Amino acid sequence: MKLIVSTSNIMSGGPPLIRQSHAEKSNLELISSLRSNIQAAKDAAVDPDQNGDTKPDDVSNLPLSAWTTTDGDQISVPSLESPCSGLSEDPEQYDITVKLFYLPGVGTELRCAHTREAIALVLKKLRVSTIDLLIVSFPGITFDADDEDEEEPLQNGVADDDATRAEVDMVSQTWRILEQLYEDGSIKSLGLSEFGTNRLQRLLPNVRVKPAVDQINVRDCCVVPKQLIMFGKKESIELLTHNDCTDVLPRGTLTELLGPTDAGVDLLSQLSQVNPALTGNVEPQFVVKYTAVVKDRGVVESKGYFAVANVS
Amino acid sequence: MGLLALGTPLEWPEAKKKAAQVREWGIEQLLATWNRAKGKERDALLWGDEVEYLVVCFDDEHRKVRLSLRQSDILEALASNEKLVKEGGGVHDVKRGVPTNGYCAPVFHAEFGRFMLEATPGKPWGIGFKDLLDVELNMKLRREIAKEHMSDTEFPMTVTTFPRLGLGDYITPYYPPSGEKLRSQYVPDEIANPHVRFPTLAANIRSRRGRKVEVNVPVFRDEKTSWPWMDPTVNYDLYKWPEDDDVRKGAVKENYIYMDAMAFGMGSCCLQMTFQAKNIDEGRKMYDQLLPIGPIMMALTAATPIYKGFLADTDVRWNQIGRAVDDRTREELGEEPLKNDRWRIPKSRYASNSTYISKDPRLRKEYLDPDLVVDEELKKKLIDGGMDDILATHFAHLFIRDPIVIFAEDLETLDLSKVDHFENLQSTNWQHMRFKPPPPGDGTGWRVEFRSMEIQMTDFENAAFSVFIVLITRAILSFDLNFYLPMPCVTENMERAHARDAVNGQKFYFRKNPFHNRAPGRAPGTNGASRTASPTPSRPATPLGPVEDEYELMSIDEVINGQYGGDGTASSCRFPGLIPLVESYLDSVNIDIETRCNLERYLGLIQKRADGRLWNNAKWMREFVRTHPEYQMDSVVGEGIQYDLLKAAEQVAEGGGGNGLGKEMFHV
Repeated sequence: MKLIVSTSNIMSGGPPLIRQSHAEKSNLELISSLRSNIQAAKDAAVDPDQNGDTKPDDVSNLPLSAWTTTDGDQISVPSLESPCSGLSEDPEQYDITVKLFYLPGVGTELRCAHTREAIALVLKKLRVSTIDLLIVSFPGITFDADDEDEEEPLQNGVADDDATRAEVDMVSQTWRILEQLYEDGSIKSLGLSEFGTNRLQRLLPNVRVKPAVDQINVRDCCVVPKQLIMFGKKESIELLTHNDCTDVLPRGTLTELLGPTDAGVDLLSQLSQVNPALTGNVEPQFVVKYTAVVKDRGVVESKGYFAVANVS
Repeated sequence: MGLLALGTPLEWPEAKKKAAQVREWGIEQLLATWNRAKGKERDALLWGDEVEYLVVCFDDEHRKVRLSLRQSDILEALASNEKLVKEGGGVHDVKRGVPTNGYCAPVFHAEFGRFMLEATPGKPWGIGFKDLLDVELNMKLRREIAKEHMSDTEFPMTVTTFPRLGLGDYITPYYPPSGEKLRSQYVPDEIANPHVRFPTLAANIRSRRGRKVEVNVPVFRDEKTSWPWMDPTVNYDLYKWPEDDDVRKGAVKENYIYMDAMAFGMGSCCLQMTFQAKNIDEGRKMYDQLLPIGPIMMALTAATPIYKGFLADTDVRWNQIGRAVDDRTREELGEEPLKNDRWRIPKSRYASNSTYISKDPRLRKEYLDPDLVVDEELKKKLIDGGMDDILATHFAHLFIRDPIVIFAEDLETLDLSKVDHFENLQSTNWQHMRFKPPPPGDGTGWRVEFRSMEIQMTDFENAAFSVFIVLITRAILSFDLNFYLPMPCVTENMERAHARDAVNGQKFYFRKNPFHNRAPGRAPGTNGASRTASPTPSRPATPLGPVEDEYELMSIDEVINGQYGGDGTASSCRFPGLIPLVESYLDSVNIDIETRCNLERYLGLIQKRADGRLWNNAKWMREFVRTHPEYQMDSVVGEGIQYDLLKAAEQVAEGGGGNGLGKEMFHV
């Protein structure tokens, strides 16, 4: 069964958003906003006017259908707004950025389907037809300003090792999927996350559409090696900052979130009551983050996440 | 401060008779503006900063520094600089070029003091993050251009006040005090901008008040300061003007530094910023939400530890300006029973705000000022004209004052396409936030002005604080933050912000939870289609608790950097801190590494000023004086100390904090 867990718009959500320092690079924002969105949906289902105290008993007796939506083999947790409220002004007023996190342990052959699914979720949520920038994050690829400094620029004729070749192949293949979306017109520009100079150099000969953006962790924003800055300038790749966790959704984290513990929202046990074949094994497939910023006012109007997983 | 129209100014007895007419016409003009612009929509964020300078003249041979009164010569030189004008800059109201695309040269303005200068960017900034990086460069450029139009010994200095203003040989050219307009025993009439508006403003304030202004500021009691302390610079034997009696009738207070003229207040330099809102509702929200932040930023930027040659026991300029333009009569002040005047007025016309104006459902009636004075007749006119109650209350509160400077020519006909009468009241209500309706003509939208910050010695600091406030406005709008506090708490905070070393030693009332009490994005009115021109009020999720539970006393460090429990986790976090809120905003938008790295320099400065690792300007100046070899530990800031202090400040400004001088303010 496929599980679509969502945060809705987290901009007015409160404390989970607020990090304390750059040292604390974490997926706290994702996890706690998923949790609070689900909790809010359950509370609202018990007490639609939100004007009284909800008792724990009421919440635990809620039927699944009161706060989730099942559609064939797919369940949305919590139910998505229908119809989606979208954005308040014309789509041209916004810069819409989507960041897609491919997760470790998920077959690369699924990326085509996952990418299209992720884009579709966001387009529907924001009620728009195009996205300004799609950034992809690959599992295991992280930028390290210290390493980069010591690396020699690539020399022609130096043979890459097998692992490097495999990575270049993997990234290039995925990139082809993105290029197709770009050529379809649903994405206006493409970007990557955490690529150093060498990775970019290896990728560029294999692409038709060059990345317009490479995201570097904000922790490193003042120590980005000159080599990468120069390379970015030369190839017109803008170096932007981000503060996302590379492993944004470890498998255990989602299981815990959906489980019956204090930190969890107790979805899995209810699911297995409905469908005894489900043992509660949760396999995260991808996470997608979207932000819609009003261009000439710099106001973030909408920001949220979808996390998609398989439950078996 | 723009130069308003020329004409024949009325002396106070005449002006007083016309006050009601000006108020009524001002209200008519406001209603015309309201009807024209209340539906104005989708304006971009544009913003501007204003930097003010003292012009000082160093006499290195004699180790003296004086204020230069050559403002008009300098402005004339600037206005006749063809390159400056060609590049879109120039002198406001005198000669300026057409703002250009791309680079646009800065614009210079006259100010109240004849020893002052103001400079603004030639065109407003936007929210392109690269604009934020240009601010500091532009401020440096303004300083350079100003300097180029001065003599070799003159310097534009971003220092709030001149330490020994009013004492002895402190102005060049020299004029004797005790002139007809100011009747001050310390400063001459020539201290003020010669434009007829300014001397009239000073004279009519004095006249309305019935005596000179009394700018009393507590003296700092140092180890050898005689105690009780009487200001030794007061001359009790002057008999030239009736007002010379003031000092014999108790104007001078024990343990207070005494000053007697508008120039002691209005001659202070500050750092002000104006933001254009998307529409009137967004403007009203920004006004309300920035309002409680004003006192915090004032304490953080404190830079005014010296008055008239003595170390003061306060660190900021604010109340001194309030007293320097306080035109209230004894009846209005509550010193005499009300007989001729209409009401007692708790605050000077230069004071912290007293009204919230947003239609935000989170604005509880408990937050409003219980002592608010309102002109009910004018309020009714505004309401009859279609304005909503809370905004009508705001303007009817500003309009309890008399217009001070009235030009006879303007009273002939009421021109509803102008806003001169409205502005007459609006721009002489100097509160720490100002809500500015769109002026006629040029497409400018509803704006909000943030006015509490003190000017800093370096362009780096001024840029840092400006950019910080811009980012706070974006965080407020993006996260829909709620900083509401009962108005008396804001008033109290403004007082607390005056204390010596308030940044480290004082606590301030601040709201504990700036967020909605509900889950993200689920409550009505928070996202999407409902966030339109007039947002649907979102209903609070739970019944409201007592107002007193919403706020508590916090240090500046807690307000800026957040309150954290022992284990440093988010769950132990109470108030998240303005900087973490700004960082979270920045994490949600696309910013290039260079911009972000620069913003980190700015945020780092503010973070460390707030947590006490770095000194603010006031502390550095005070310590400079107290460790100066000529200082006798008796509160007296002599001429030699003043010379060295301003020389050092000039070098700090020159080095931008990078040359080691003033390192306590810049480097941990």
